[in-house]
Amino acid sequence: MKIDLASEEKTRALLLGNEAIARGAMEAGIKLASAYPGTPSTEIIESIIPYAKRLNIHVEWSINEKVALEVAIGASYAGARAIVAMKHVGLNVASDALMTLTYTGVEGGIVIVSADDPNAHSSQNEQDNRILARFAKAVCIEPYDVQSCKDFTKKAFEVSEKFKIPVVLRTTTRVSHAKGSVEFGSFEKVGREYKFIKDAKRYVVVPKHTRVLHKKLNEKLKKIEEYANRSEFNEMIINGRLGIITSGVSRTYVREAIKELDNVSILEIGFTNPLPRKLIEEFITQVDKVLVVEELEPYLEEGVKKIAHESGVWLEIHGKDILPRELEFTPDIVKKAVYKFVNKEYNNIGLKFEVDISIPERPPVLCAGCPHRALFYALKKITKKKIYTGDIGCYTLGLAYKTIDTCLCMGASVTIAQGFYHAGVKEKPVAIIGDSTFIHAGITGLINASYNKANIVVIILDNRTVAMTGLQPTPASGVNALGEKTKELSIEELAKVCGATFVKTVSPYNLEETIEALRKAFEHDGLAVVISKEPCALLARKMKLTKPAPKVHRERCRGYLCQACSACVNLFNCPAIVLEKGKVRIIEELCTGCGVCAQVCPNDVFEVVD
Amino acid sequence: MEVNILISGVGGQGIILASDIIGYAAVLEGYKVTGSEVHGMAQRGGSVVTHLRFGNEIYSPLIEKGRCDYLLAFEPLEALRYLDYCNKNTIAIVNTEPIPPTTARKIGSYPSVEKIIEILEDNIKVIAENYTQKARELGTALVANVMMIGTLSALERFPIKKESFIEAIKSVVPRKIDLNLKAFEVGRNIS
Repeated sequence: MKIDLASEEKTRALLLGNEAIARGAMEAGIKLASAYPGTPSTEIIESIIPYAKRLNIHVEWSINEKVALEVAIGASYAGARAIVAMKHVGLNVASDALMTLTYTGVEGGIVIVSADDPNAHSSQNEQDNRILARFAKAVCIEPYDVQSCKDFTKKAFEVSEKFKIPVVLRTTTRVSHAKGSVEFGSFEKVGREYKFIKDAKRYVVVPKHTRVLHKKLNEKLKKIEEYANRSEFNEMIINGRLGIITSGVSRTYVREAIKELDNVSILEIGFTNPLPRKLIEEFITQVDKVLVVEELEPYLEEGVKKIAHESGVWLEIHGKDILPRELEFTPDIVKKAVYKFVNKEYNNIGLKFEVDISIPERPPVLCAGCPHRALFYALKKITKKKIYTGDIGCYTLGLAYKTIDTCLCMGASVTIAQGFYHAGVKEKPVAIIGDSTFIHAGITGLINASYNKANIVVIILDNRTVAMTGLQPTPASGVNALGEKTKELSIEELAKVCGATFVKTVSPYNLEETIEALRKAFEHDGLAVVISKEPCALLARKMKLTKPAPKVHRERCRGYLCQACSACVNLFNCPAIVLEKGKVRIIEELCTGCGVCAQVCPNDVFEVVD
Repeated sequence: MEVNILISGVGGQGIILASDIIGYAAVLEGYKVTGSEVHGMAQRGGSVVTHLRFGNEIYSPLIEKGRCDYLLAFEPLEALRYLDYCNKNTIAIVNTEPIPPTTARKIGSYPSVEKIIEILEDNIKVIAENYTQKARELGTALVANVMMIGTLSALERFPIKKESFIEAIKSVVPRKIDLNLKAFEVGRNIS
């Protein structure tokens, strides 16, 4: 939407949860914003970028989440407010810093957004980072709708500075990617001089200092717990002896579910670490039984049970015995559970229908003209006797081409391949990793392969961007978050320095050249790196680098009768190529003119137009 | 008062833009608006659905199954896929131009559009039109989404004024505003 997110005017706008978080951070007067892109967190930093110059904020795409957090820590030690955004698994990478940051504490407020992904819409797991925040002894705050995204973020900076502790602002996909109307607030004038006041006992965590800092941290958490009891992030409505405790987006589902019910008390918790003990005690003494409604782990449920036990309150506490511990909630799931809890029948007014046809699935696919598809096709042409360790990125969709056999976490392709090699498997391990993922977590793995003599092939899919999260630049694209020119990182030189003894860069759009390079890499005795370099099809479209679609030679095309292989449709499987009325047709709106189909078809059906 | 709209289609069809236009029009009329979008991996040509809700007392970003008032389907199969969100009073506006998924390339694996519309009509109220074709006639298939909003805006009892839609289109659509306004008008005459 065309909207001035940094407007001083107190307007009402329609925002994405992540945009509201960005607005909240800007209202709080941040000096720095850093992140590594990851769904569902990406739009936070993206929404700050256009206002960076105007508000004098340093914004960066850091090369990974640990780096992003550490950069923010430096700013905070100097007294500046900073926001760091990442997806849930990103916090695993940043956790090394976070675990001890709580000991040193912060000076300028730090808000770390952890965008969790129940249902794994675009993630490898469903971890619940409220637990990670508690483990790190950080404050955890959970917004539940778009307005609270803005309000809680702004207030989180105040909490962070009041107690000199980092705040984990935990969202989920349905909060970060919720749309909603938001009232803008005013900008805080932070107006302070940024300087570092040396204090070795606090900032140098040698064992002697750490032992003291840990004790201080535990005392601090007790004080924060007192504060949490009075926090405006929580809301309690007493209305009868049946109680529901909830947090995050489930708050909205509960509110919908109880619309037609009377006599339900609710306790909505926005301050989830440390838990507001007195508030929970107050609530559970006023009800006879409780249903805890929360997605994923029984985080609140266990907390409530512990508090009930310690305060000698006896009551029935339900939660994961009624509600699922995996995937995300929906209004129906919650309504059903709530109605069951209050002993009322839930009748859904939805259609009861039967469809006598099967609805084909529509999974995400590699785009038309995607350079990854060409590379996968080349790989398949050579041999099937390989193990392909994959990584995190669009290329995980190579699954459909059977050229991705593993996918675990950022950078693991390069290292898991080494384990296969050292275990002594017969097939040569081939690691497949994107340019940005390689820079994020693959470089150390590559050095390790060379150092420990792992005879593997690493294919770096250099599509010049972070494609899956919406085309953010990387150090190898030579521009930064603001679009300014920076020194371009040469992946080829880097591979050589890391110890690869065979390094070759190819264009995957040239199948012959690519197949030749891959063959040589497979035959090479030692660490081999092939860089498959061609801009992402979406990036090419944006940069107007696309070419006209090839012409289809209708006489040569045998369509359904094609006995050769139906290579174009079945093996290459480009979404721009469809079989229609017995012949192939190219959907011109989708085609980027990569010309690979012309190299794939043995009957010369596709004629490249120059 | 509460209005629930489900917008379904294929990643890349301008679903989020459509949702923004309707959502902002509702904001202009002073309603509380909530909704939920799909970003990231799911956009790569996959099935995409956006929930949009407005009214006086609404909280959830998602629509409860069975409570969808209006279904805007940018592709016929994607109308069928979300039928469980509908009830017998739901009105569906369906673009009849099929986009076969890569899983349904073989003959007969994509159900016939006539059959899909028939199933929809057996269950809910349907306005079916090849919006893509009509949009192409205006110059680009890309305005099919705004044309469908035009049809929605002209429905009897739809509670948002035409003027608010026009203002929303002007503030939300990034380019070719005149063409989009034209598509909106064409859409208003489809019923």
